[in-house]
Amino acid sequence: MEAASKLALYEKLMLPHLDAAYNLARWMTRNEDDAQDVVQESYLRALRFFDGFRGGDPRPWLLAVVRNTARTWRRRERASTTEPFDEAVHGSGLHVATIETELVEGSRFSGLRECLELLPVEFREVIVMREMEEMSYREVAEAAGAPIGTVMSRLSRARRRLQDCLAARMQESGP
Amino acid sequence: MTCETSGSLLEAYLDEELDAAQAAQVAEHLAGCPACAGSYARLLELRAGIRSHAPYYRAPAGLRERIRSAARESSRQATAPWRAMAIAAGILLAVSAGWNAALWRSRAGSADSIARSMAQTIESSHVRSLIGTHLLDVPSTDQHTVKPWFNGKLDFSPDVRDFAEQGFPLIGGRIDYVGDRTVAALVYRRRQHIVNVFTWPSDARGGETESDRNGYHLIHWNAGGMAWWAVSDLNLAELRRFEHLYRAAGDAAP
Repeated sequence: MEAASKLALYEKLMLPHLDAAYNLARWMTRNEDDAQDVVQESYLRALRFFDGFRGGDPRPWLLAVVRNTARTWRRRERASTTEPFDEAVHGSGLHVATIETELVEGSRFSGLRECLELLPVEFREVIVMREMEEMSYREVAEAAGAPIGTVMSRLSRARRRLQDCLAARMQESGP
Repeated sequence: MTCETSGSLLEAYLDEELDAAQAAQVAEHLAGCPACAGSYARLLELRAGIRSHAPYYRAPAGLRERIRSAARESSRQATAPWRAMAIAAGILLAVSAGWNAALWRSRAGSADSIARSMAQTIESSHVRSLIGTHLLDVPSTDQHTVKPWFNGKLDFSPDVRDFAEQGFPLIGGRIDYVGDRTVAALVYRRRQHIVNVFTWPSDARGGETESDRNGYHLIHWNAGGMAWWAVSDLNLAELRRFEHLYRAAGDAAP
């Protein structure tokens, strides 16, 4: 393909999914700066691998690139810090962010964002793709690089964990 | 349909992944089974909760434009190999008198195309380190801080040197990727210019090359069982000086 038309096609197909790419990266990294870096790098990779895009829906294909980039990023971030990732420290930071919502809403879902952020990333990513992007099992499987059966079981376990997490929070806050 | 069967199909039903016949059976079971209907209601409730209470993060302003310009830049680089070749040939002619035959050999045949694609990869890593927010994992001007920092993060221990006295102060290092390989990136500053030095173990010998890509100069050499790449927008003469400092320091090492 000629370079200019390849670039034009890439922009036409991939850029409309920028929000989807960013949302996934943001949930996977749980951090705005990392999410921006991951998305920017993902788009460069997507351009490099664009010849490998065989048509069809660009969104799962792009999200597969984002997901892989975010995973590499996590490994790199982990490699660059001597301390292991501390859920308690991050959890308290996240808590501050949700207080506002809690004050306004006070509903049984007020802890949802926090519960979602505490899920292991392979559970979190399928929830984001299925519930926020409303992707089909087949599309999630393509983006997550896993068989459909694995996607179904991750999704199911993720939902169970979210329900348990929300229930535990309800109990903590009392009637 | 039993509760057990219904239970195993419940989420696929929720996600509208069942065929019409199965979906009808589950619906029928739910109509007559309060326990399963309760499970289903909780799943629906969770879905509604996620959609109403979990933020959907939209891309911040400016990201789209940054991606577009990075993609255009990258596309321009990738599609102008003839330009890099022409420049390389020009440099080669200009400096051939002073360079040894090893340099000629390394530019010949397939080694040349491998070196070119490697140069492109290296240059991309360099550009990426400048446009992102990830230039340094370990910001430090102390080689004795930077070197041990790599321990355990790489399967090799890079030789880290500081040339502050010669005008090329070390400012830190980071882990980077070249192709599929994890490599050490050492970062130096020369006035307002950044020099990235990428290094990883390699059996290759000799094969020194220079190239020029879109205003960036790249110098590659092999020494001490390692491949080295220095890349910068610094002028070529100064980058060569930096390379000579590096090689001299390597030769002086025990």
